[in-house]
Amino acid sequence: MTDWTLASVAEAIRTRRVSPVEVVRACLERIERLDATLRAFITVDREGALREAAGLEAEVMAGRLRGPLHGVPLAYKDLCFIRGLPTSCGTRTPEYFSDRDEATTVVRLRAAGAVTLGKLNMTELALGPFGENDHHGDAQNPWKPGHVAGGSSSGSGVAVAAGFVVGALGTDTGGSIRLPAACCGIVGLKPTYGRVSRAGVMPLSWSLDHIGPMTRTVRDAALMLAVIAGRDARDATTSHRSVPDYATVTARPPSPLIIGVPENYYFDRIDDEVAEAVDAAARVLASLGMKVEPLRVPDPEVMSSVANILARSESAAIHARVMRDRPHELQPQVRERIEPGFQISAFDYLQAARLRARLARGFIGEVFGAVDVVVAPTIPEPPPTLEEARRGTAAERIARMGRFSRLTRPFNGLGLPALSVPCGFSGDGRPIAFQLVGRPFAEATLLRLAHAYEEAAGWQTVLNGGPEMAPKPPPLGTGPA
Amino acid sequence: MTEREREVQAMVADSAAVIERAAGDLALAEEPSGLLAALEDGASDD
Repeated sequence: MTDWTLASVAEAIRTRRVSPVEVVRACLERIERLDATLRAFITVDREGALREAAGLEAEVMAGRLRGPLHGVPLAYKDLCFIRGLPTSCGTRTPEYFSDRDEATTVVRLRAAGAVTLGKLNMTELALGPFGENDHHGDAQNPWKPGHVAGGSSSGSGVAVAAGFVVGALGTDTGGSIRLPAACCGIVGLKPTYGRVSRAGVMPLSWSLDHIGPMTRTVRDAALMLAVIAGRDARDATTSHRSVPDYATVTARPPSPLIIGVPENYYFDRIDDEVAEAVDAAARVLASLGMKVEPLRVPDPEVMSSVANILARSESAAIHARVMRDRPHELQPQVRERIEPGFQISAFDYLQAARLRARLARGFIGEVFGAVDVVVAPTIPEPPPTLEEARRGTAAERIARMGRFSRLTRPFNGLGLPALSVPCGFSGDGRPIAFQLVGRPFAEATLLRLAHAYEEAAGWQTVLNGGPEMAPKPPPLGTGPA
Repeated sequence: MTEREREVQAMVADSAAVIERAAGDLALAEEPSGLLAALEDGASDD
């Protein structure tokens, strides 16, 4: 094996070139060696993972495979409920959240053969785009320690980039999958609202929460999405639509598409290096036969206000108990982000929810009447230092959070699929990324296009070299066969 | 009222004002669950 992706590990296990126990041991060794610095995990389930891997190894030897992820090591943001493991949701309290049943996404991944390595660090209560956490340590950017890993799914971004696991789940209410994916140089997919079940996961905002894969390659994201997508009786918002074979369709060359590059909002006040990298990515897409055009998008500021009203009201309702009983346990900036929700009237909340539907319908008709896919930067600047993210009063920090997530947030309100893909580095080695946004349920189109970009642009070669804190994983040994 | 309370009040009022301006002509049939219908109606053939 010359790389370390979900697809290649799954293939090596399937063909008995490596055993699930060997893979898990290699991951645990890396975690032990590097995670005291990187802070990706809140809980490492060493014994449980080795036990699961041994069982899966016996099945391989008996000629049985549970599914496409047989023996593949994954980890989950610490707001996914998993039986037998604590769920802190990034708070000081190990068992902040409980549920009778496991997260549907985790159940499906396990049924497909995945091994659970543990639970991943996150911004407290998923409130914040930088990944700093006073209780569990700040997640460090593996490419540039001392810089933010992005949040709120910070540990998911770090764990995948550092080679601790080959895939992770994140959640995205305003960018929390795409921002850490962009900061850590990996792929992150926020699916269409309703494509993936949110059952068994701490809600932050019922209207805006999405769950999705975070992986090293686009193909790996397709493999995970194929397992977790689809109707779930435990989440009434999930769609009845059938689930395409995402891995197969991703491998096909994309048909010629019209790509829209927004000329308003998405390139306003962004870092020059980010703008140049995204322009270069658009040129690569053009070289693949895509027609790249400037596009004027409906003003995202109104949708941002709608999303603010919905997210603040819902997070206040969800976290009212901890705000009443244990406010002193929360970090000040987290408390201050929840507080405004208690002041919002039911009238404003309902008007926002009604307006959201109109804005989504208008955006889909206007934008996707003209283009097939929208390309925009994911982050407005390369990952800043942790010190910069922590600087200032709580209000100043919250304002900075809003600026950092301003390019991802509108697509949560719209419910559209958005896929963040690495597209280079700043001069001092910090990752940069762009996002591809498509029609509702157009994940296959986005994955196919992103896979073609990934192959053509060649960043994967650099990314597989691994960040400086996490050199390329050692070659795997010979399997039991 | 503290400085922070004034900030919160102003923040909520600003967002509410944007919503009020944009929602002025919502029709009776436009209800919160319209988002799911909008997504299904606008879905890709993928």
